[in-house]
Amino acid sequence: MIRGDVSPRARDHFDWPLFIAAALIAVLGVVNLYSATSVYQGVRAELYISQIYWLVLGGILGGILVAIDYRHLERLGYAIYTFGVFSLILVFIFAKDLRGSKRWIEFGSFRFQPSEFMKVFLVIALAKFLHDDPRSEGRTLKDLLVPALLTGVPALLILKQPDLGTASIHVLVFLMIAALTRVRWKSVLTFVVTVACALPLIWNYVLLDYQKARVTVFMRPEDDILKTGWHAHHSRVAIGNGGLFGNGYMKGTQNQFNFLPDQFSDFPFPVFAEEWGFAGSVLLVLLYGFLCLWSIRIASLAKDRFGAVLSVGCGAILFWHAFINAGMVCGILPVVGVTLPLFSYGGSSVTTMLMCVALLMNVSMRRYSVVPAPDRL
Amino acid sequence: MSLVVQRSDVSEFRRRFRWIALAMVVLQLVLIGRLFQLQILEGEDNKAIARENIVRRITLATTRGIIRDRNGKVLSASRPSYNLYVVPEKIDMQVVWPKLVEYLGVGVDERARLEALLTTIRASDGPRKSQQILLKEDISRDAVATLRTHDAELPFVDVVPVPVRYYPYEEVGAHALGYMVEVDAEKLNQLRSAGYVEGDRVGATGIERAWESYLRGTRGWEKVLVDAKGRRRPGGEGIIEEPRRVDPIPGRDLRLTLDADIQRAIDKAMRGELAGGVALIDVRTGRIIGLYSKPSYDPNALSGGSGKQVIRDAFRRLYSDPLKPALDKTISGAYPPGSTFKPFTALAALEKGLIDHRQATNCRGALTFGKRTFRCTHVHGPVDLHQAIAESCNVYFYRLAAELGVGMDVIAEMGQRFGLGARTGLGVNAEAAGRMPTRAWMTLRNKGQFRLGFGLNAAIGQGATTVTVLQLALAYAALANGGTLYQPQIVRAVETSAGTVVQEFAPRVRRQIDVSPENFSLVQKALYAGVNSEAGTAFKARVLGVDMAGKTGTAQVSHKLARGAEAERVWYFNREHAWFAGYSPSRAPEVAVVVLVEHGGAGGKHAAPVAFEVVRAYNELARERGPRAGVNNAGNARTQPKPDRGGSP
Repeated sequence: MIRGDVSPRARDHFDWPLFIAAALIAVLGVVNLYSATSVYQGVRAELYISQIYWLVLGGILGGILVAIDYRHLERLGYAIYTFGVFSLILVFIFAKDLRGSKRWIEFGSFRFQPSEFMKVFLVIALAKFLHDDPRSEGRTLKDLLVPALLTGVPALLILKQPDLGTASIHVLVFLMIAALTRVRWKSVLTFVVTVACALPLIWNYVLLDYQKARVTVFMRPEDDILKTGWHAHHSRVAIGNGGLFGNGYMKGTQNQFNFLPDQFSDFPFPVFAEEWGFAGSVLLVLLYGFLCLWSIRIASLAKDRFGAVLSVGCGAILFWHAFINAGMVCGILPVVGVTLPLFSYGGSSVTTMLMCVALLMNVSMRRYSVVPAPDRL
Repeated sequence: MSLVVQRSDVSEFRRRFRWIALAMVVLQLVLIGRLFQLQILEGEDNKAIARENIVRRITLATTRGIIRDRNGKVLSASRPSYNLYVVPEKIDMQVVWPKLVEYLGVGVDERARLEALLTTIRASDGPRKSQQILLKEDISRDAVATLRTHDAELPFVDVVPVPVRYYPYEEVGAHALGYMVEVDAEKLNQLRSAGYVEGDRVGATGIERAWESYLRGTRGWEKVLVDAKGRRRPGGEGIIEEPRRVDPIPGRDLRLTLDADIQRAIDKAMRGELAGGVALIDVRTGRIIGLYSKPSYDPNALSGGSGKQVIRDAFRRLYSDPLKPALDKTISGAYPPGSTFKPFTALAALEKGLIDHRQATNCRGALTFGKRTFRCTHVHGPVDLHQAIAESCNVYFYRLAAELGVGMDVIAEMGQRFGLGARTGLGVNAEAAGRMPTRAWMTLRNKGQFRLGFGLNAAIGQGATTVTVLQLALAYAALANGGTLYQPQIVRAVETSAGTVVQEFAPRVRRQIDVSPENFSLVQKALYAGVNSEAGTAFKARVLGVDMAGKTGTAQVSHKLARGAEAERVWYFNREHAWFAGYSPSRAPEVAVVVLVEHGGAGGKHAAPVAFEVVRAYNELARERGPRAGVNNAGNARTQPKPDRGGSP
């Protein structure tokens, strides 16, 4: 009965700008991936084909997700969230160590990263919570305790993998959603002071040495170019090497001569910036900017609290990923393993990002009040 | 089951969307600002860094010029020395090492030594064990071939060819050629501007040093692309600015005037003697055909290739030997010429018109002058100038100095006309000037006291008079050719590695000696008699078929203990130097030959036979090579004045 769920009217409201922006980014991503992995031989050089497969698969999943009215998700919110946390716990039990951290669960040759999906699950749970908790007066910190806990549990689990980047994304997404609510000024102040006090403690007791090293390197970038600062340094140089119009497709020397490790997953942006220059990279940043602002627009047009929070949350996921990744490759943020949405290679990442886009589409297409609420499944 | 749309209240969020959007826009602007900074403001800097990352300038080695003798035989060239490198940390001692040892074919002792070395390095900390270390230098070609064949079985084993200088004639003529040393830090400071780098070898002595700038060649360079791991990458058009490559210029080859076969013949002729020097010179050109100093050393050992230890040992031997093998005795050593100097004393007297050459002096075996007795070799009886030279009578020459007014200054002046006591300007090896003592010099030397007896010694080439073997050879060449003193020449031409002559050096006349032809003729006849008359001092050394004119010399050495010599060897160091100086053939001379046998004893007995042997070899080789070779050897000298006043039989 899925087909019947999307009314003819809703189909007319297909969000073309959203779709085109996302598709453009994905296409650019594949084109860029082809160039980025051209330095490899064998399996890695074929990554762009896998990326196409992932985009197609993610697209199909997204299509299904669009067909299901998002309000079904509202009912299932906490169940989905619980599933996510459970899979994070599974990671601890079954995951294989890859470069010092446990992030992936393997099913045969298939490998996926629960922490990627957890972001979306968290957004659904938070949306559910705020949907059920309308307030007309300002909230106190106590009122935000439950959503904070909802965020804290997976964030800590992920931090222990360890994966600082993804954990931070969870917190940042939560903060952006929290910013949506009316919080008392006094509470905001208390929160800021608390965080300021907690930071040194987190630095000392929570962060691991390699994570600290990345932050230190970020503070003093030229200290240790050959070791910890290598990525950051060469990525900056690659971006700068692009100049105004870039070196041309497949002609970025920093990439072609192997100065950019992980150029397919965490560092595709420098490859792109080197080849297309300032013009190309600004275009890409603007595409992300459009995507994020559009998601806010969708939220503002949403006709219920769940849809609004869901849209802001998905927008926040896209935004923070894009901002942190671009920020870290051009040296305004420390290097953490955060992918560039729809641009980086990676099954889990691509699927997650397409889920976000699908959810946005879902909310966008059902923004008109005449759309009846769905029956329970 | 409600069909009524239930909307929750979104008013709480209404005003905040804008703030979130604003926050996003601000952060995006920060990103764009940063991109602007990196790509536009610092774009050029980053481009420069990116280019620096991938463009490496590598130097292209050049080849040192080859030194050939007059007939094109190679005297000094470069050959590859194959050095074996291993990575101590990585090499598999159970599987790879035994194979490597087997292929190398090293003995049990050396195997144990190398194994111990590797074990020590493997056990140590620090970066050394993970880097390639030089395990063995100059391994044999067979071993190289075997290692190449089994390359796949030997990970972390590398054979690297390094050019080293190679001297096929080894010890023979080593002094003239010289050897190579690695530049030390001090020298490098001076040479760095000329393009030398650490590890370069530079000519240390001889022609290798004097002609270094010709031989060396110029390094080239090439800009290549390398990736992050330092691996070479092809291509680079449009990335690397022109010029991308400057080809190395190979060093110039040198064509010497020396004859390798003559050098060998000299070595053979000197086999019975411990130390000395021999020079064979073309009297028509001043070109040096043979230049030989003994004892010698093996320049191959000194020039490297067989390892640092071999070099060290070779140098220790070189400088600990009391016979001074490091000294080039033809150029750098000055010796009293003894009786070989007498012709110049005679010419001094004749030119001044102080004597009548027919007038005889009665030799009673000694001349008493003042309180001293000056000895002769034996009682000659009445001798005229001709006999005095041929039979080497000292008394005749003492009398010239003592009674006929042939003073020191006159003798010195004549010696200097013949280039004695002054550097010849050959430019190879540090040249000793020798000394033609004058009255003024003697006075200074002896604290203001001059004794006439000094003049008597000077007349017979003793006392303070010293010459080098090369000077004497040039002087005798001038005696032979009737007074043309040549600039000595050892490098005949500079050639490219393809064989084209770049620069050819014509013979250069230093001066035309102003001595009357009659007087020359008198001396030449006397020199002929010195070899060919029965009373001549070199008569017994004569060799059939060698037409020679010459003079022996037996020079007394000052009686002092040679430094570094053991007591039982002192007798050797007190013995006279044996000399022979002459030219051949006597009628139309081609070559002048001078032989010095250090502490050899009597000149007629020890030096003259060597000279005859050398000239005999010269004639033989000239015959073998035919008349054309002879014409070539004469070169431009055909236009030079020919002595047509040769001695009479």
